[in-house]
Amino acid sequence: MSTVVGPARYVGASVHRVEDARVLTGHGRYVDDVSLPGMLHAAFLRSPYPHAKIERIDVEAARALEGVVGVWTGADLAAAGVYPMQIPEPAPPDYLRPVFPILATERVRMIGDPVALVVAESRYVAEDALQLIEVDYEPLAAVGSAEAGLAEGAPIVFEEIGTNLIHHDQAEYGDVDAAFAEADVVVRATWQQQRLTNTPMETRGGVADYDPGRDELTYYAATQGPQLVRMFVAGLIQHPVQQMRVLGPGDIGGSFGQKVGVTREEVAVCFASKALRRPVKWIEDRVENLTVGGQAREETAEAAFAVKKDGTILGLDVKLTMDHGAYPLLPISTAIFTTLIKVMLPSFLRTRNYRWASQTVVTNKAAYVPYRGPWAMETWVRESMLAKVARELGLPVEEVYRKNMIPLDEQPTTMATGPTLEGMTARDTLERALKLVDVPAFRAEQERLRGEGRYLGLGIGVFIEAAPGPPDFGEITGLGAPRDPARARLEPDGKVTVFTAQVPHGQGHETTLAQVAADELGVPFEHVRIVHSDTRDAPFTLIGTGGSRAATMGTGAALAASRALKGKILELGGQVLEAAPDDLELVDAVVRPKDAPDRGMPLAQLAQVAYFMPPEGMEGGLNANDAFPQPRGGWVAATHVCVVDVDVETGEVRIPRYLVVEDCGTMINPAIVDGQVRGGVAQGIGLALLEETVYDEDAQLLTSTFMDYVMPTAVEIPHIEIDHLESEPLAEVNSRGVGEGGAIGAPAAVANAISDALSPFGVAVDRLPASPARILELLGRA
Amino acid sequence: MNDVRLTVNGVERHAAVEPRRTLADFLRDDLGLTGTHVGCEHGVCGACTVLVDGEPARSCLMLAVQADGLHVRTIEGLADADGSLSPVQEAFRDEHGFQCGFCTPGFLMTVEAFLAENPDPSDLEIREALSGNLCRCTGYDSIVAGVKLAAERLRSGVGVPA
Repeated sequence: MSTVVGPARYVGASVHRVEDARVLTGHGRYVDDVSLPGMLHAAFLRSPYPHAKIERIDVEAARALEGVVGVWTGADLAAAGVYPMQIPEPAPPDYLRPVFPILATERVRMIGDPVALVVAESRYVAEDALQLIEVDYEPLAAVGSAEAGLAEGAPIVFEEIGTNLIHHDQAEYGDVDAAFAEADVVVRATWQQQRLTNTPMETRGGVADYDPGRDELTYYAATQGPQLVRMFVAGLIQHPVQQMRVLGPGDIGGSFGQKVGVTREEVAVCFASKALRRPVKWIEDRVENLTVGGQAREETAEAAFAVKKDGTILGLDVKLTMDHGAYPLLPISTAIFTTLIKVMLPSFLRTRNYRWASQTVVTNKAAYVPYRGPWAMETWVRESMLAKVARELGLPVEEVYRKNMIPLDEQPTTMATGPTLEGMTARDTLERALKLVDVPAFRAEQERLRGEGRYLGLGIGVFIEAAPGPPDFGEITGLGAPRDPARARLEPDGKVTVFTAQVPHGQGHETTLAQVAADELGVPFEHVRIVHSDTRDAPFTLIGTGGSRAATMGTGAALAASRALKGKILELGGQVLEAAPDDLELVDAVVRPKDAPDRGMPLAQLAQVAYFMPPEGMEGGLNANDAFPQPRGGWVAATHVCVVDVDVETGEVRIPRYLVVEDCGTMINPAIVDGQVRGGVAQGIGLALLEETVYDEDAQLLTSTFMDYVMPTAVEIPHIEIDHLESEPLAEVNSRGVGEGGAIGAPAAVANAISDALSPFGVAVDRLPASPARILELLGRA
Repeated sequence: MNDVRLTVNGVERHAAVEPRRTLADFLRDDLGLTGTHVGCEHGVCGACTVLVDGEPARSCLMLAVQADGLHVRTIEGLADADGSLSPVQEAFRDEHGFQCGFCTPGFLMTVEAFLAENPDPSDLEIREALSGNLCRCTGYDSIVAGVKLAAERLRSGVGVPA
């Protein structure tokens, strides 16, 4: 590298991903690739009943099988001092906190509830042993839906909390009664979003490695939050936190929220490794993943919008019911997600009048986990309601938006629920999208084709996302203010290592954070290495990577630490070159006087001074820490427009056009941004059209393989056009998160497009997925 | 235990395996070729795709003993011995084809076989050829773009190492 490095040399360029060198050659290292000497393999016996009493468990035959090293039941774990789980304090107000064991003891509460753990010389033998365990169950009536869970005389899933209503909330902003009294029309509808599952291509798993000599437990985990896993697992198995290390194996095969918490299985596996004094690997199979890996959404909203005839929205009234499943996911109570839906629902709307109520109901299903944009229900409900308002008033939907959206020139202001809106460009993304799709031309074509019996539809989904949101967002939601730390270190050869608190699992942070650090430091991209996902040396945050925070917070932290390191480098350079640090610059890995660039010293040489001949009063080596506080602004805005072609004979939906206009501020690596947006849209299309975790009314699971749980392929997902707006920066770090947005906007845009297509039949999509069967049902042709 | 002799990425391998051992487990655990990934163990997701005598096969559904006497190619066999990427790998790198990388080996092997059979595919043909492989990260556009770029380069010889 001899070219001159200036500012922003790498940021803004679609630099090749650092990760690809290994990922494309089969040299990635995922958790199932971790293989340790003497390693054993775990498998879990799981309940075939959604709700039952355990009368008797007999594991003797399993224990006796050759190759089996250990078998534990829930009672065995309790006897060994493993604590049960409970959502920790401080829990949100009105959130009840049932206590539940790592392995079921007296009762099973879902299909797939873990009942026993077998550890054997191979996974094959461990699974053989599962067949030899005898369990007598006394089946109990099960709760198959939130509605059933609230019915009088319903079976109670956790008897000690005495109710299935695990959480409820209500709130009122402005004067809702007055708004509804003033309305010309009240538009009402009920919207049902299905249960589905995150489905990363890599299932959950981990390898625990106990070192008896040092009493140290190392756990290789496919997790979004190693720090969280370390603290909770150590506590639950009574192992000293100080003697536990949790680290990513190197690569994680996706998560989308599924790997965000602390799982019962990983507690059991860490316990087993310590008990057996040998490494133990557990890799979830796909049937387990689809059964108990974590499920999401399944929310129903009854909504009423008070409107004037001209489309002005006066007030909102929304009542949400969430199906919680059986066991809470540690440490995240679902109340966080209902709270986010509550806070975000008014979004870009001008109205101040909003009434909210929510109820979260325990059922005999797998745990509710966050899934890419866990609050996305707010977008689907609001956007579906706006489209319905337009249909009922006979107005073009774009006019309803224009009437009600807060434009840039009315900001700063606040959302009805309180968060500061500043630099929020939802309206700009909408106008740009409308221009790009040419709505009048589409309407003419739609009209023409209807005459030929073809039904096209256009749907809009607009949303804003707190990625990371304004500084007051954390206080209003109770999530707390994010503050991301990072460290930067000058190595003895003059290269730079940046330690991030982010835990990438496909986002390419090893690339993007290196782009940011290289620009800030004035060194080649190849000189920067990003270290992550290890509790031994990564800076501490509880969350790790999640909530689309990395683009601002991870970036800001890497920038701040790099800047602090650069300050130290220039200070040392000043001493060595006998110049004032302010008169020096760091360009292309050379520290040099600004006015005499040829008199510089390569960073590699300066690093030698720092390590081996540090000047008096200077620590050896050069390290810098910094933490990055949440900046102003913080909103991502986007408009999705979907065009569908619905075959009213078969119920099939084709997507001839899909467009996203989004504003995530400065893009660090445009190809990575586009990949995040498209990946999110694909998941949103899957949600809108195909995917559904189906339980029958007795809480029996019907979708435990990829034959039944239908994932979108390259055939179902269309080409997705993306157009970027870049709003005026409000802060130095102007890159904002795009991880979740695609999945938030797409269900609304697709469903609204189908409803638009079906409008001649007077029906609309009010329940997802809009599968062919459901569309035919709507058309009365099922 | 059964004796198995097969060629993997050009190297002859000989092992004694249980009859029930899958080819995927044999490659990953016995030969240490962990580049082949197991995503569903029931033949739908395509992550475990390898080439058996040049044809794509689901190594989770095939037993190691069934590969006796056959030639198996895995992702580890795509790049040159000196580490330089194959044209398909190179194209995927240029198009930012993948994200988490878990499905990647299966896609690469599928595409390797597909382009050998159809060097000048249309977008629709590409999408149909990829429809037996699931990717949860990308939305597929970047993978389709990677296949197109690889096909172009392979046809023109530009950007393809001699």
